[in-house]
Amino acid sequence: MSKINKIIGYLILLLGALTFLFPFIWMASATLKPEIEITQLNLIPSKITFESYKSVFQKIPIIRAFINSLFVTSAITSSVLIFSSMVGYALARLRFKGQKVIFNLILFTMMIPFQITLIPTYILIVKFGWVNTYQGLIVPGMISAFAIVLFRQYFKSIPEDLLDAARIDGCHEISILFRVIWPNSLPALATVGIITFLTTWNEVLWPLIIIRDQQLMTMPQMVTLFSIGGSAEAQQGVILASAMLLAIPIVTLYLFFQRYIIESMVSSGIKG
Amino acid sequence: MASIKFENIKKIYEPDNVVVKDFSLNIEDGEFVVLVGPSGCGKSTLLRMIAGLETPTEGNILIDDQIVNTIAPKDRNVAMVFQNYALYPHMSVFDNLAFGLRLRKFNKVEIRERVHKAAEILKITSLLGRKPKQLSGGERQRIALGRAIVRDPSVFLFDEPLSNLDAKLRVHMRAEIKKLHQQLKTTMVYVTHDQVEAMTIGDRIIILNDGIIQQIGTPLNVYKNPANIFVAGFIGSPPMNFITGEISNNVFSFDNLNMKLTKAMVHESDKGTKKMVVGIRPEDISFSKKGLDYKLIFEEQLGNESLIYIKVGDQNLVVRVAQDNPGPHNENNKISLNMLKACFFDPKIGNRINIINTD
Repeated sequence: MSKINKIIGYLILLLGALTFLFPFIWMASATLKPEIEITQLNLIPSKITFESYKSVFQKIPIIRAFINSLFVTSAITSSVLIFSSMVGYALARLRFKGQKVIFNLILFTMMIPFQITLIPTYILIVKFGWVNTYQGLIVPGMISAFAIVLFRQYFKSIPEDLLDAARIDGCHEISILFRVIWPNSLPALATVGIITFLTTWNEVLWPLIIIRDQQLMTMPQMVTLFSIGGSAEAQQGVILASAMLLAIPIVTLYLFFQRYIIESMVSSGIKG
Repeated sequence: MASIKFENIKKIYEPDNVVVKDFSLNIEDGEFVVLVGPSGCGKSTLLRMIAGLETPTEGNILIDDQIVNTIAPKDRNVAMVFQNYALYPHMSVFDNLAFGLRLRKFNKVEIRERVHKAAEILKITSLLGRKPKQLSGGERQRIALGRAIVRDPSVFLFDEPLSNLDAKLRVHMRAEIKKLHQQLKTTMVYVTHDQVEAMTIGDRIIILNDGIIQQIGTPLNVYKNPANIFVAGFIGSPPMNFITGEISNNVFSFDNLNMKLTKAMVHESDKGTKKMVVGIRPEDISFSKKGLDYKLIFEEQLGNESLIYIKVGDQNLVVRVAQDNPGPHNENNKISLNMLKACFFDPKIGNRINIINTD
């Protein structure tokens, strides 16, 4: 009886997995098909060709976009890790006036959807003269309320004696954070790092608003503009190939950090 | 090497949780002082103030006659051993010991020398490559001691360092710490709630309750001459027996029982009848042919001695006798209290009342 239940369970899971995987696998195979076959649903191309990829590289500076994306995402991820953990540490471990108010304010900003602050942020960036610059892409994302809250909660679980021992050993607060707390908070750092990296990498709306110069465009922005903007000349294969190139870094990241990504999704209750 | 001075220290946590009330104390250079008291008496707070982890609300703390109230912990040259060891989990034992030295920019050769020297003193050389989680509780506590030793601090602070160890190891480590003090001759301040630990380890013990010093003295002095009921009941295991009664004309009476006090024991303000609490240690009660009737309740055999729990009148008393003493089981026996060794306390404020011994 239980064996049958198990088999049924696995069948349902398999069906679910296929439902999610099929579009991706189909896309992967379609990029290798000749243009004429693309509309068919079969997964095995009659003839493998890299024509679609070739024309993507010819039509748009996708490598430049990849480098831009990598630079912007890395800069944002590392600064979120550094600055948010600093704020999280102060909120969790130091005692100062207005601590609760500040924490509540930070929590409150998490309730406001990004779309609402979009316009004011844009106006600020325009005033700073940062339209069409890397700063414009990076600075608004350099700290994150979600990361602050997550760090604060995690740091609260570190025994106070450990920090006191470090204070007596000769640390000041900054070195306590980076030399004692960081090495003992790898799960929290991985969670924040991965979630920040994924969301920043996939961000389309903000770059679309702030970047017009093709040389500064991020990969999702360029791929989006390419697929709907007409320069793909309605060639499905090319559009799919550019989407595939966009997904490759994320898939690679997933392969390496699979365990941490699943843990971080579970622990933070956030889906990527 | 350093002396420590507390000058009218007061510590108030918001809004009116007074932890330490007007605490003054001098600790001599090289002395081993134990702060002992029940939990919440303010002893750990005082220790943390020496370390600089807490600041006094009022008053001054002086290390070597210099006020250190606002000096950061790292600049005080003190080392502290914590109850839960507080070893850095991500570092090897060697790195744990070397961390403080590296932060103080010692050169590599000297760090290596100091770590190995400390490791030899504590016999932990073979553990230097391991991580804290691979060690037993006793080993971890040694590492924590080592981390304090390598720094060669002028003051050692211990915050209940043995509470997490099992009974046997605790006795062993107690002796090790005492030995360490004899070897290093550095000023040490030790906090514990365990009065046995306090008695065995300190040159001088300070008994605290509710943020107030109850008594300061050598272990033996505190045991023999407790200043008040709190100290008498706190120091000694099992604690002192207390009997509430009245003294009148050199007769102590309680629960319709009368005990004649020797002539030598005349209370200094003995005029008429006076309520009194008499405290008597378990070893100062004996079984004999003369004395008061008692009822045997039960007996605890500890090997070398036995604790006999008896009832006299309505009072429950504990008596300590040698293991082979047949006294308690002889039905004709009575108990006699050695009133020469008894302590007399004021029942209202709990303070000890001096007896003029006219012998």
